[in-house]
Amino acid sequence: MTQPRIKRPRLKRSTLTQARNRPEVLIPLALYLLFTLVPFYWMLVFAFRPTGSTTILPTRPTLEHFRTVWTGLGFGVFFRNSLLVGLATLLVVSVFALSGGYALARYAFAGRKIFMLALLCTQFIPGAMMLIPLFEVFRHLRLINNLWALVLAETTFQLPLALILMSGFIRNIPIDLEEAAWVDGCSRLRGFLAVVLPLLRPALVAVGSFAFIGSWNNFLFALMFMSEQSKFTIPVGLSYTLGEFGVDFGALAAGGVVAAVPVVLVFAVVQRYLVTGLSAGAVKG
Amino acid sequence: MERRGRHLRGPLALGTVAAVASGLLLAGCGSSSAGSDPNRRQTITFWDNNGGPDRTPLWKGLIANFEAANPKITVKYVGIPAASVQQKYDTAVTGGGTPDVAGATTSYLGGLIAQKALVPLDDRVSQAGMTGKLVTSFADSVRKVSADGKLYEVPTSGNLDVLWYRTDLFQKAGLKPPASWDDFFTDVPRLTEAAKNQYGFTIRGGSGAIFQLLTEMYSYSGITSFFDSSGKSTINDPRNVELISKIAALYKKDTPTADVNNDFVKMVAQFDGGSIAIMHHNLGSASNNVKALGAAKVAAVPLPVAANGVHTVVPNPVDGLVIFSASKHKDAAWRFIQFVTQKSANSTWNQKVGQIPANTEVSGESWLQSQQPVRDALKVIQDSGTVSVQAPFYLPEFSAITKTEMGPLFQKVLLGTLSAQRFADTFAAKMTQAQAKYVKRVGG
Repeated sequence: MTQPRIKRPRLKRSTLTQARNRPEVLIPLALYLLFTLVPFYWMLVFAFRPTGSTTILPTRPTLEHFRTVWTGLGFGVFFRNSLLVGLATLLVVSVFALSGGYALARYAFAGRKIFMLALLCTQFIPGAMMLIPLFEVFRHLRLINNLWALVLAETTFQLPLALILMSGFIRNIPIDLEEAAWVDGCSRLRGFLAVVLPLLRPALVAVGSFAFIGSWNNFLFALMFMSEQSKFTIPVGLSYTLGEFGVDFGALAAGGVVAAVPVVLVFAVVQRYLVTGLSAGAVKG
Repeated sequence: MERRGRHLRGPLALGTVAAVASGLLLAGCGSSSAGSDPNRRQTITFWDNNGGPDRTPLWKGLIANFEAANPKITVKYVGIPAASVQQKYDTAVTGGGTPDVAGATTSYLGGLIAQKALVPLDDRVSQAGMTGKLVTSFADSVRKVSADGKLYEVPTSGNLDVLWYRTDLFQKAGLKPPASWDDFFTDVPRLTEAAKNQYGFTIRGGSGAIFQLLTEMYSYSGITSFFDSSGKSTINDPRNVELISKIAALYKKDTPTADVNNDFVKMVAQFDGGSIAIMHHNLGSASNNVKALGAAKVAAVPLPVAANGVHTVVPNPVDGLVIFSASKHKDAAWRFIQFVTQKSANSTWNQKVGQIPANTEVSGESWLQSQQPVRDALKVIQDSGTVSVQAPFYLPEFSAITKTEMGPLFQKVLLGTLSAQRFADTFAAKMTQAQAKYVKRVGG
């Protein structure tokens, strides 16, 4: 008697792979991509097209607008300031989000839920409303015209969301891992650094990216708390191209390219962590 | 565990280095305070209210000349973006930290005066012998902004609404530039070829629409005051209502449909793109228009004279310089103002920015003859027959009424969901009420 042959089931391609190749998925995605990229294309056309040209292709590309913004408007200085403020905000927010998020996730203390609710409520306060109080505080601290004012203001506004995200992510990491480390002789801090921190990379990327990009794009604080040309940041520089009577579209587009490059690079590097970080942290209460 | 912990060592180390480096650099960028001893070298801070690629180099040139002539005074230039200048000034006044001297226009001067942020400059102007050298209507515009009638701003430049037109399209249609409002309303349909995406006119329906509409209304009606003797607004006068109806009737027929959302940027971009024959804007768009279309294809005429023969003009906000009360270097600030408003500096400045010079001595300069729009505008301003209808910038509610409240209603008029009469009645009621409150407050 021959052994009945068991037919090996064929491996099905995953639903996701199938969906990727279907035109009803691809066409809308391609249209959406086109819709998203058209403004960027226009920005590049205006940035590289000579003044007075109306072609939709920059057939005779020029760097005159980049010279205008970089040397004429001082974007070199603005760029440096934005970078310094962005990096400092990223670091301060990340450090406080890590420590605060750990406390919120791992310790049960009276008023924790109310504190979380208060953090959420801060997101409804517009920056403009806090302008005068913050101005007063920074004036007394002699921080007007000091880039640290921007770092502190940005941190104030970005830390609540960062704490919420980070605490959600930490809560998602089983405490058993840390307990195993404690059993092995680690202290709480050592356990956190050795076990939890490496797993928090996506969350750190998400929180850090938001902090950096939020700071990079902030116009209001940079204009209000700085009163020296050498202290302004990129968004203030961009608004110089929007005059009272006219707009220098070439300079505006060139400035836009300069402003967009770091943000695009940041996203290009961190995008694979970003989705994980956000999805893991955002839905946890 | 140890192995996993190492994963972040690199980034953490990098982060630490970056934090320390940022900290050092940020701290290095901290501010320093300057002394105020008058015998020592003085540094004054100057805020330019319209900083940007066009004006910043001009100011820096004037500042260099001033510092060469006044070696003990250094001017620290700070360009403020025009779109946020009022907010920046208000924050600086409220929180402290105003500059010594700054650029300002009459559109937000009233608010600064009300906050007692500025010093009156009448005595300094008079002692410097500058009184007769300022274009009268500009100085009047400045004085009318304040309740005490004092001069808180020394005018540097003025502006005027004009009709920019395409000379080539007019020539092709066999038309002359509009000399009357009847000409205007006859020419616009003749210059429209909607099938070729060419329109006779473009309406400013979005941001800034109301002030522009007011200049058209009073130019059309020839009414010489915003309020009658009893304090009632003249905005809903039948002649003004007629103009609103006529403009609204052009919408979509002889103008692009998108005009309902036009701010000045979109309006100028449409005109400079070549699809519009006539555009109502001020002298400010001169350089954009000439750059885009070429000097041979574009010209400007002042808004036409009213049917009753009265030439009324609603002056644009007057640009000038102010001294802040908190300044510790008022004399140095005044010397700076004096320098940049004198004939040669004022001439250079206005030639480059294409505005009407506020110094009467500049009117004889040769460059004015070659800049047709500015020359004609100056002629209108200095004409004794021209009646200047001062917009009530002194009303604290003026900005909110014209920008926030009436803007959407004018869009409804264009879209045909609100009648011109109801629009004008609502507008007039708000202005009458604001005027009454103002008169009561200042005890007029």
